[in-house]
Amino acid sequence: MTRLLEIRDNIKVLFSKYDVFIIPVLKFLLALVMLIMINGKLGYMSKLGNPGIVIIVALACSFLPTGAILLFGGLFSMGHVFALSPEVAIVVGVIFLLIYLLYLRFTPGESLCVVVTPMLFVFHVPYVIPVVMGLIGGPASALSVVCGVIIYFTLHVVTQNAANVSGDLSDIMAQIRLIIDSLLGNKQMLVLCVAFAVVTIAVYIIRRLPIEHCWMIAMISGAVLCMVITLIGGLVTNAGFSILGIIFGCILSVGVGKVIEFFKFCVDYTRTERVQFEDDEYYYYVKAVPKMNVSAPEVKVKNINRSRVRRPIRPIAEPEESAPMDTAEMDTTELDSSYFGDTTELDE
Amino acid sequence: MLDKDRVILMTRMASYEEGDGKKHMNVVRFFKGDYIAVGILKAIICATLSFGLILALYVYYNFDVFMSSIYDMDILAFVRSILTKYAWFVGIYVMITYVVCTITYNSSRRKLKRYFKNLRVLKKMYDRQ
Repeated sequence: MTRLLEIRDNIKVLFSKYDVFIIPVLKFLLALVMLIMINGKLGYMSKLGNPGIVIIVALACSFLPTGAILLFGGLFSMGHVFALSPEVAIVVGVIFLLIYLLYLRFTPGESLCVVVTPMLFVFHVPYVIPVVMGLIGGPASALSVVCGVIIYFTLHVVTQNAANVSGDLSDIMAQIRLIIDSLLGNKQMLVLCVAFAVVTIAVYIIRRLPIEHCWMIAMISGAVLCMVITLIGGLVTNAGFSILGIIFGCILSVGVGKVIEFFKFCVDYTRTERVQFEDDEYYYYVKAVPKMNVSAPEVKVKNINRSRVRRPIRPIAEPEESAPMDTAEMDTTELDSSYFGDTTELDE
Repeated sequence: MLDKDRVILMTRMASYEEGDGKKHMNVVRFFKGDYIAVGILKAIICATLSFGLILALYVYYNFDVFMSSIYDMDILAFVRSILTKYAWFVGIYVMITYVVCTITYNSSRRKLKRYFKNLRVLKKMYDRQ
């Protein structure tokens, strides 16, 4: 454990030292993965699949605010859907605009969650996000997660009905009806929206309770709650969830939650202190739980800067008898410490 | 001579100024009533736009039905029902905005107060020196 704590502290120090470089690199990678996913899943506009464009946009995202990733993701998705069918692009655009107007303009900081949620759906591990957002976010994060779910299913419905939209149905109304009906009748989306919102809020509430191991209890109960709601919802609505996928996803969510807990809320309950005191107006019952920390071993490097010693060149030859050296008159002030280097450190 | 406590305090304050501080300053430079009023005004505009979009999509979706029954339907009742729904939609959204703006304003004010308190502590530290 001590070794792990040391590694954690080192990572924190490294991150705080080089955050100027690490954050843009992470944003670049996130934008790159997101754009590659959009191009892979939708890919109706071949021009947007150009690696040069993808890299340039990802690079732009790396130094723009986080909201830019969401913006470019939305524009890329709209571009692809527009190439498939302009009418469907209008529907998708209206949904994106509604999400922005009604929610995202309040909480621009939550845009990362809206970006990551659809990506986790593509990786088949969406059950991680409500537990994680409950641990690191607030109750409003439930809405961000729901927005992410809606965005994923909107694009998913478009890809599922791509053949009908572009080929068979020439009637504009029928295309729009098909997309809206598929979206509103999508039981998986409804069940997941409810489950994720409930789990995010439940995890948030439990982790803030003044009980021991609240984070652990929050993430386990969140995972169990997610599993129960999804399974029951799936059974009731016949949504057709993969049971193994749900179980695996919920177990993974606890694992990811544990990693987050290690970095964010690592406390030692065995050393809990309870103190009681009073002042003129109140009695105080204080419970103090110490953080788990290791003091990094202090490596003290002592530099002994010995300047190069230039030894006095002693004449090898015998002094000539005709010109004897008068050592008594020799100026010895030059033979001071600088001549032999600073020996004070050596003396120590 | 470097004062460790002072350096820590100054670092924290500088970090706050660079991060949330700017946002909080922008909020607190208004009076509370003005800030909430501006928020509500924006909310009304956004809610109207959103309702318009939803209505347009609804009409687009049921275009055939509207076209076939346009002469039979009671236009006045239809408009009245739309306006009632609009009022509900905007009313609920404005209420939510009011709560969010109030919480944001109070929280920003509290954090800025703490910042100014720290400024006074810093000044005392300098005076003591």
